[in-house]
Amino acid sequence: MSSDDSSKIGQFLQGEKEPSSSWVILVIGVVVTLSFLVIYNILYPGQDLPVISSLLPMFEGVFDSGIWFFILGAMIGAFAILGTILTEATIE
Amino acid sequence: MDTILSTLVIFWALITISYVVIQKGLGAFGQVVRGMSLFMLEKALGPGADLVEGRKGSGAKVWIIQGVVWLFLSSTLTFIGLWLAHDPIALHTLTAWGYHPVSSELFYAGKFAALFGCVGMFIIGSGLHILPKLLEVDLASEKNAVLTSFAWTLSIIILIIGSQNHFILGLDVILIGTAVNLLVSTAIIANQLLTKAASNVVLAAPGWLIIFGLIGNPIAIIATFASGAYDTGLGQWLVYHLSGATFFFSSIAGISLYSASFGSGNALWSRTLAGVVILGTIFTINPLGSVDPIMAVDMLGLTSADLVVSHQDNVLGSFLMALAAVPIIALSANILITLRGTDAFVENPDSAGIPEINFGAWMLLPLGIGALFVQTDTLSGTNELTGISNIIDLLIIWTILIPLSLGGALQVLPSASGRYPLSQNRARLSFWLLSGGAVLGLILTMMSDIADIALKNALVEDPSALSHSLRKAGSVIFYGTVLGAIFHSTNIFSGLYRGEKISSATTPSSTTFAPSSYPLTTATTVRRILASGAVLDTAVVPTLESNVRGNPTSLNEEE
Repeated sequence: MSSDDSSKIGQFLQGEKEPSSSWVILVIGVVVTLSFLVIYNILYPGQDLPVISSLLPMFEGVFDSGIWFFILGAMIGAFAILGTILTEATIE
Repeated sequence: MDTILSTLVIFWALITISYVVIQKGLGAFGQVVRGMSLFMLEKALGPGADLVEGRKGSGAKVWIIQGVVWLFLSSTLTFIGLWLAHDPIALHTLTAWGYHPVSSELFYAGKFAALFGCVGMFIIGSGLHILPKLLEVDLASEKNAVLTSFAWTLSIIILIIGSQNHFILGLDVILIGTAVNLLVSTAIIANQLLTKAASNVVLAAPGWLIIFGLIGNPIAIIATFASGAYDTGLGQWLVYHLSGATFFFSSIAGISLYSASFGSGNALWSRTLAGVVILGTIFTINPLGSVDPIMAVDMLGLTSADLVVSHQDNVLGSFLMALAAVPIIALSANILITLRGTDAFVENPDSAGIPEINFGAWMLLPLGIGALFVQTDTLSGTNELTGISNIIDLLIIWTILIPLSLGGALQVLPSASGRYPLSQNRARLSFWLLSGGAVLGLILTMMSDIADIALKNALVEDPSALSHSLRKAGSVIFYGTVLGAIFHSTNIFSGLYRGEKISSATTPSSTTFAPSSYPLTTATTVRRILASGAVLDTAVVPTLESNVRGNPTSLNEEE
């Protein structure tokens, strides 16, 4: 083993570009999740989802108007602006 | 004597005296006042002045950047106001926190954020760059310009809080906000006048428009108090329109005319028309704005009075408002023709800011006429069009004041910061979202308002389903302005760090609709070819001409 090869041991390497096949994994993940929900509904009809069903009532009355989706978008926009300022100022 | 005339005479006299003093100076006192003002702007701030470096152009940059943030906040507040107009209980869950959002209060907060936060900061920021450029000197105090921007933002925050809750702990919140605002205005005026005093160059018309915009607002307030009209409904209506005509209209006119010439590379089309805008702004009553002067009343800490108009005041007010069409037409024509140069097309259409200026100049005339109708309707006591006053006011803010001031700021920012926005394509997308959302959203809301007026006149008590649907669609479409503001913000902030430097070569056009070839049939100029949308990669193809005499086409060629 040459000295150049040994110098790479212990380094973290990350490519600049994202391989297109990585999106396939994400799509498979989404499809599997949706399939799980369908299967759960077939196997346990009428049963609430564990954990999620106990969290959702906390938001009852909050998202009962469509305006909340728009406000959510505006909040994402606000964080996008803030994130842009922070990342642009600190990027090398 | 009439209320309008007596107030205007004082206003005109003070403006004239100010102009003479600015031109001639204060004689022996000039040096003393200049030294003392410079001391107040920097040394008197103590350690505060050391917080900022005071680099050249930093003042304009900081003001414009904060204005962009206010653009986003004002669009969000206005959007929520439009939504609550058709769904008043949409945010009822916030009552758990002790907040009761009401559509009219959110419009009020949105107007403070839009007028003083967004437009005001663009106006002052652009002015801090344009005036020293025209005078060929440096700004008197960059440090003060940077520091005051934060105080101005603080004043807007106070004003917005006051718009939701007028009194907190017995204190008039809006009045406190106004006091901070006036303090900053005084510092900015002193800064700009000191810059003017340091130059011997003859100031061009846009520079005078910016100066009159700055000094006109406090002079309008002084004139109204001096004439004693401040406690009458008419006096309050007048001070609202005089402040609007000077600080907003005059300043924006100066910035737009400068940016139209600077951005297109064409000389200002007409100096005479620019002069007409200056005189017309001062010697007429600008109809742009709401019929209700509540913003001026609250900011000056006055008690709102009913609008009682004598016959003479009605005639004079209506005449002077009709006369304001002259500077409005002059400004619109001067901007539009300057942008086009000698061609039928806008020069540099892809340059960020140019589409906004073009759009704002187009909207000046129809909305100027619309506002004139609404104002004369109120002044004459007819009050048939009061129902669309608010939406006309919003249209003026979102399709004239914001586009023109934003366009000017986008043209000025690269010179002040040294870099262009990150992407011209994203700037154009933001323009379409912002302008399209504002025009379509607010026009649909205006249609709903007109339907409501018609039903009210017909004594129909049941609410109209069509009106409700239009109002709902209008509020959703207006969300485009929120998206446009977000895209503009991220594009500008990224551009400050990674945008192309202005010292590099000229940015090639990035339009996706650039023609691949340009047929050259006759001798033409490079300017005309570029104005047709051609870019550097477009092939200029000479079209061959034949001297053979034309004949009828033979239908049976093969025979």
